[in-house]
This record gives sequence, structure tokens and C-alpha cells, in this order.
Amino acid sequence: MKKARNSRRGISTTIVVAAIILIIIVIVGSLYALQIGPFAPPLKAELIMGTTDSVESAVDPAQAYDFFGWEIIQNTGAGLVEVEPGSSATAEDYNPALATEWTTSADLETWTFTLREGVLFDDGTEFNASHVKYSFDRNMGIASPDGPQLNMEYDAIIDNVEVVSKYVVKFNLKIPFGPFLGLMACQASYIVNPEYSGGWKTDWSVDDIVEYTAGDARASNTMDLGPYMLTNWTRVAGKDHEMRLEANPNYWNSGAGLPKTKKVIIKFYADATALRLAIEAGDIDVAFRHITASDIEDLKDNPDLKVWEGIGAAIQYMIFQEDPLAGLPQLNETKIRRALAACLDRQEVVDTVFLGQYSPLYSMIPTGMMGRPAGEPGPFEVLGDANYTYAQSLLADLGYDENNKLPIELWYETSGHYPSSPDQAELYKSQFEASGVISVTLKSADWPSYRLNRNEGVMHVFIYGWYPDYIDPDNYAFLYYATWLNHHYSKYNATNNYNAMKAAYDAARASTDEDERIDLYDELEGYAVEDCPVVPIWQGVAYAVTMPNIKGVYLDITQTWRIWLLYGEE
Amino acid sequence: MGLRSYIATRILLTIPMIMLLLSIVFLIIRVIPGDPVLLHFERKASEEAMEAMRQRLGLDRPLPIQYFEYLGGLLRGDLGLSMQDFSQVSEQILSAFPATLELAISSMIVAVAIGILLGVRASKSYNSPQDHSIRAFGIVVYALPIFFLGMIFQMVFAIDLHWLPANGRFPPRLQEPRGLILYLSKPAEGFVGVLAWSSLVGLICWALCIAALKRKRVKFWVKGFLISLSVLLAGWLVWAYLAWNFVNVGALRISTGLFTIDSLIEGSPLKFVESLRYLFLPSLTLGLVLSGVFIRLTRSNMLETLRLDFVTAAKARGLRETAVTYGYALRNAFLPILTMMGLQFATLLGGAILTETTFSWPGLGRYLVDRINFRDYTAIQGAVVYFALMVAAVNLVVDILYAYLDPRIRF
Repeated sequence: MKKARNSRRGISTTIVVAAIILIIIVIVGSLYALQIGPFAPPLKAELIMGTTDSVESAVDPAQAYDFFGWEIIQNTGAGLVEVEPGSSATAEDYNPALATEWTTSADLETWTFTLREGVLFDDGTEFNASHVKYSFDRNMGIASPDGPQLNMEYDAIIDNVEVVSKYVVKFNLKIPFGPFLGLMACQASYIVNPEYSGGWKTDWSVDDIVEYTAGDARASNTMDLGPYMLTNWTRVAGKDHEMRLEANPNYWNSGAGLPKTKKVIIKFYADATALRLAIEAGDIDVAFRHITASDIEDLKDNPDLKVWEGIGAAIQYMIFQEDPLAGLPQLNETKIRRALAACLDRQEVVDTVFLGQYSPLYSMIPTGMMGRPAGEPGPFEVLGDANYTYAQSLLADLGYDENNKLPIELWYETSGHYPSSPDQAELYKSQFEASGVISVTLKSADWPSYRLNRNEGVMHVFIYGWYPDYIDPDNYAFLYYATWLNHHYSKYNATNNYNAMKAAYDAARASTDEDERIDLYDELEGYAVEDCPVVPIWQGVAYAVTMPNIKGVYLDITQTWRIWLLYGEE
Repeated sequence: MGLRSYIATRILLTIPMIMLLLSIVFLIIRVIPGDPVLLHFERKASEEAMEAMRQRLGLDRPLPIQYFEYLGGLLRGDLGLSMQDFSQVSEQILSAFPATLELAISSMIVAVAIGILLGVRASKSYNSPQDHSIRAFGIVVYALPIFFLGMIFQMVFAIDLHWLPANGRFPPRLQEPRGLILYLSKPAEGFVGVLAWSSLVGLICWALCIAALKRKRVKFWVKGFLISLSVLLAGWLVWAYLAWNFVNVGALRISTGLFTIDSLIEGSPLKFVESLRYLFLPSLTLGLVLSGVFIRLTRSNMLETLRLDFVTAAKARGLRETAVTYGYALRNAFLPILTMMGLQFATLLGGAILTETTFSWPGLGRYLVDRINFRDYTAIQGAVVYFALMVAAVNLVVDILYAYLDPRIRF
């Protein structure tokens, strides 16, 4: 009897539980269906962009010196001039933005800009020349050790900013500076709103940097003259989680129908795989950046997606540290550096590591920029690739042969700061050792340690990369002798071409004549080939992956991701 | 020793253990070779800039002072400033905690449900093909790398079938659940009215609790949960009333940070279903892998228990097989499983690094990886302290539960 009663109770409990679950499912399901209908809603007036990038520290031109920080500044702020989308950023490609016209003195030491009238900040204040002076004085006054002003040496270029009249501003420079428009177009030169940047004052310190404020996107951003307003910025666990950009009603160019998409949501992904999955699953409309080379190859075959390819301005190169390091041969001997440079096989690196997507680089000035048209490899071609005979002969002069190999330590970073660094390093090692006269020990460090090692000058041979601050050869050519890269190349200037190289660079800076500047950079790179303090290896390609109905993607030499030109067709 | 004395002893023992942990963490971070401030700068910074940075992070003071400041900060819930963006580490950890907690709870449910059900099945069919299959399944799922299993699920359910989202925590197109936002203003019904309905809610809660307590079948933790819920509710009512009357608060947000709960509080079935859809694959992946441990543990403990005399006696008295297995045998075999649940749960609260990375789940696991990559020493220190506290707290709870369930260990 007891058993039967237990059984009945068991059945009735099961039925009741099942009925409750069923009712919950029906209610929730009905409400769900009523509210959203199909699971994937059609594309609306908003776009969702996914990225693995993030703002490294702040969206403040006095501090931001990273790709994505600059992206947000670019899309929410405005500078005096801007680069024509899709162009090569030559002198003719600079368009008016907050300035409508400009002139320069004959000696290139004074630049005068006439400003656009009637442009309003978010708080209703009208933009004028005092805001330009304020922005530059503030950023240079804050002088953040990590900020662009010090790292790009604004203080070595700009002497002062002078308000000539309400709508005219003059920059008095310390040196003649031809690529000044390039500097003005870069995000570190964008105009801040004093209301959100510390107010009108003259004494500045790093404490005035506008940092991220949880729950208050407006207070986290100094910008409001651009196509968008940053209306939401969420960080979870100190990492960017979501941003929302909404059309700025005060944007000076809104009459042209910009921004094309009124609302853009930016979602941040942990890695390239997650980003790829999100775009494949249709969670996002646009994926920019990064998707790996192999994933790009796969996605090219996906009919539901569109892969956009553009010029990449990122370059990678190898540096030979010239001061003595314990237990290692000193690399201040030119023949060693030339021999090492001759061993590199750039095409193999590009084909093997980057599946043929990147391009071999034979000049520190990337292809596509002024004086470096496609199809002309560049000055380092004369050393040849995998030119082992030449390398052996140079090293034989110094007593290195198969029995007495040149030992080098080759360093690479392991944090994914550069694409496929470990794979690259392995390949460079095999290329050097294929000469038969070089032995390589690989060394690695995470990115913060790697950067510190670079600052300390303790890496014998190492791989490094460059991403431009402003789009001009001026921002690349100095890398051959930059003391923060190759600490001691300049120290041995009595026996190398440092002085001649520096003279050519300064002369190119002081000119706006394109032909003259190209000749000077050719001369500079001629010296660089002789000395090989730094050797170019490859130039990247920019990729974006979108839904097929997304238009308005520009991947040009500026590397600027112009969100305000993106739009999705229904 | 009575239960109360046992709990008091356990708590007292936990305090020196936590102090020791905190001190070790503090020392380790400071004796690591190299200056963490040097790592912060893009280019070689001036001595003044580095000194300013040390001051900002409180690293310029003598070590003993730093130590006491660190302990004092911990008492206030202050874990210091992140070296990356100078925001509060405690805020960063708190912002990631709900995601980790939600994943930990849901994956634990999956793991325990699968583990216990299959473990019991295996023990009941000892040495049969079913037993062998379940054991093999347990070993295979435990041995499977989480990222591998996760990626297979993503490929099948998200990419090919489009049934579930590939990664993330919530659809990008929807506003994340924010819980219930109460806009505080003087209620129309007046204080007496508020008191009336809040008393009614409180009474219903207490009635439920008392009813539950009177039924002997309700487990200890259910009682505890209901009591704490009622206390929380009562506390909230008091606080809300004070806020209404004495504090100028515009809105009161009731939010747990758990999207499934918050969407329900918000009253949005759409968001609730979406939260579940996003939670499903990470929970299933992590839960499946963890279930391997529970399958083996349940099986071996059940095998021992099923051989005991009281099981035979219960069967002889004509009790149903299910009642004997789950009501008597499993209850007795449950202690080691509970210990393992506690340990696993504490580990999960530290963040499931691989699962969170595979599914872009914005929890503490990813946080720790990011901070390590950035060499953000203050954040790493904060995360380790938090994790140590979590493990200590969960162990304490498990010990107390253990003592409650098995009075022998108190003596």
C-alpha cells in the first residue's frame, strides 16, 4: 500500500513540475515572440562594429598615443585640416576642416590658419582661435611622458600658438617644417572643449588628463566637434566593453549628410577568433581590427561576408644594437650589419608567415607614400634577399666562418603586439643560420618587458614595428637613427653616415617641394643601406570584414577608420 | 564541540590564514626584480616623471608604511589604483565579478546535475556496459581542453546552425539588463500605505519561510537562503524608506549584475531569454568538463554507500529504488561531493580563464590575463587578494556545511 501511495505522489509531483515548466515556457516564449519576432532583426539605422582594439588609457589628445584612442578622437573630434579619404596624403590631399584656408611663410616657420565660423561646441559655445591656442597650450603643458606631444616632439617643432583675431590663428615654429599639415591632421592636434578639459587656465600637469569616468561618457571625452558624440563608454574589469557613438547635431559638416549612420555601437572582443566568430554569426556588421591572416583567407570564400583590403602603413623592421653586450659580438661593425641584412628573405617571410597578404619592404618609407610608388621595391633591394654568398664574404673578412660562427641573440615579443612574432623569429633564425656562418639564439619577452628592454638598449638584435603618427615620410625616415631604437648608432657618427643622414632628413623637413624631398629621402636611404642600423622587412595590409550590404569603407594610407562614412544598405 | 563553537573556531582560524596570504602577496609583488614603474612608460621617462608615477601609486613610501596602508585600504575595500588607467582596482574587479559569478553558478549546476545523475547511474549499474560508458565519458570530458570543446560548440551551434550566439554575454543590439530602477519620490499612498504593502510582502516572505522551516524535507541551505532573502528585503525596505525621507537620492537601482536575474527584475522576458542563450554554451562547455570529476566522485562514493547495511535495510522495508538511491544513499555519499563542489566553485569565482577567453565572456579570468599581459602589478595584487578571500570564504562555508551535515567532524 505504502509503495502504491509513494508512486502516486511521485507521479502527481512530476506532473505538477512538468506543468509548471510548460506554462513558464509558453508564457516566456509568447512574450519573447511578441516582442522581437525573428531572432535576427533586420539592419536598422545603426551599425554594430566589433574590434579587438581598445583604448589603451584615455580619449584625451594630451595622453592618447594608441590606435583606438586616436580612432575615438578622430570620430568624435575635429582638427584644422583632414586628409581626403582614399588619397595618398600628398600636399594636395589636405582638405579644410575647422580651418577653411591656410598660408605659410617662405621659411616654413610660420603657418597661419583662417578658421571656420559658426561651429558650435556641445555646450553651445562658438569655436574660435582661442580654442586652438588653448588646445595646443594645454596638451603641451600637460606634457605627459606617455602622450604624443613629447613622443612626437611637438615641443621641438612648435614654439607658440598666437591668436591673431577671432578666426585667425598663427603657429610660430622653432624649425622650418614642411609636413606641418600632416601634423595638424593627426589626432594629437585635435581641438578640445575647455569645458570638459580642465577649464581655462595656464598651469597644467598630468593630473589634468581627462581619464575614463565610469558611467559618464561625456566627462570621459574632451572632444565634441566631430561627426559623433561619445554617448556611452563602458569598461568591465578595466577593459573596454562597449561604446556608443551618436550623430553630433553640431557637426560642422552635417550639411553633407554626415555621419552617414546616425548610431554606431562598438563591441570589444578578447581576440581575433572571437571577432571572427562574431562576424560569421551575424552578431556584428563590421569587424575591424584584427582578424588573422589565415582567418582572412577563409573569410574571403564566405559568400555572406565581404573582405575589404587596403594599403597598410604599419611596417616591421630589424634593429642591430651597436653597443657592447656581455658575451656577444659588438654590432658597431658595418660589415656584420650588412651581412645580417643580406641574409633576410623577405618574400619567404611574407609568403610563409603572412600567407602572401603582406608585402616585402625595401625602404622604411612604405609603398604608397610620397616617392614610393607601387612596383618600385626600394633601396635595400641592392643587398639582395637570402644573399648568403655576400654575407659569407663580409663575415669572412671579420674571421667568421663555418667553424667560427657569428653568434647573435634575436629577440621577439610574445604578447601579440605585432602579428605572429614567434613565427617570424623562427623564420629569421633559420634564414640567418642558412648562411652557415651565423648561429642564432632566440630570446623573448612580453610586451612591457620588451619595451623596457628596448629603452635600456639590452637587446642585441630585435624585431620592431612602426605605425605612423602622421602620414608623411618625415614620420618614417628618422627611424634609421632614432636613439630610442638604436641607442648607439649616433654615438659612432665619426665612422658612419649618421651626420649625413640627419642632414638629409632636416633638409627634407624644411621643404615643401615634393621632388626635392623625394631626392633627399633617397639620399638618406642610400646612407641607410650602407650602414644598415635598421633594416626594413615587411609592410602590412589593412583588412576589414563586413556584411555584404555595408558600404563606405576606406582603407587608405592614413589608416584612419572613418566611421562617419560607413553605412549599411537595407 | 557544539556547532556554534566549531563555526567560531573556523572563523578565527581563517583570519590568520588570510593575513598570511595578504602579506605573502604584498611581499611577492614588491620583491619581484625590476621596477614596475619603469614598465609603464612608452619611452625612457625622466626621473621626475617616474617619481611622480611612484607617488601617484603610493610606491614612494617606506615598505612598512606601504604595508599598513595596503591593509588599511583592504579594510575599506580599496585595492589600490590600476597602473594602466589609474582607476580603482576594486571597481574593476567588482565590474567583472557578476559575469564570473553567473558563469560559475550556471556551469556548476550543469556539472553537478550531469555528474551526479551519471555517477549514480554508473554506480547502480556497476561493471556493466553502461557503467563503463559513463566512466569513459567522464574521463573524456575531463580530459578535453575547454577551448577545444568550446570551439566545437561554437562551430556547430553558432556558425553552422545559428541557434546560439558564438560569444559575448548579451546581444550587442540590445541594452544590457540594468535591473529595476526605482525613481525615488514621495509615494502617493503615503508612509502608512508603503508600510502596509511592505509589511504585507514581508509577512508573505516570513510565512513562506516558516512554512519551509516546518517541513523537515527542506535542506539547510534552502532555509538559509530564504532567511537571508527576507532579511535583505526587510533591510532594503528600511533603507528605501530612509532614502525617501532623509537622503536626496534620485533613483534606486536594484541590480545583481547577473543578467538572467536582472532581466527578470526588469520584467523583460526578451532579455531573459537572450541572457540564457548567451549563457548556454559557456556554461555547457565548462559544466561538461567539470562534470567528469563529479561523475567519478559520485560513482565511487555511491558504490561504497550502496554496499552498506542501511541501504539493504531500506530496500528490505519496501522503499522505492529511487527513494533509497537518492533519498538515503546519495545523502550519505554527498559529503566528499560537497567538498569538491566548494573547491571547484571557489576556483570558478577566480575566473574560468579558458572559457571566458574562448567565449569572450567579460569576467575575472580575462581580467587577470589582461593585467598580467600589461604587467599591472597593483591590479594583479588586487586580483590575487580577491581570489584568496574568495577561496577562504567558500572553504569556510563548506566547512560549516560539512559540520552541519556530519556532526562527527565537530569533535
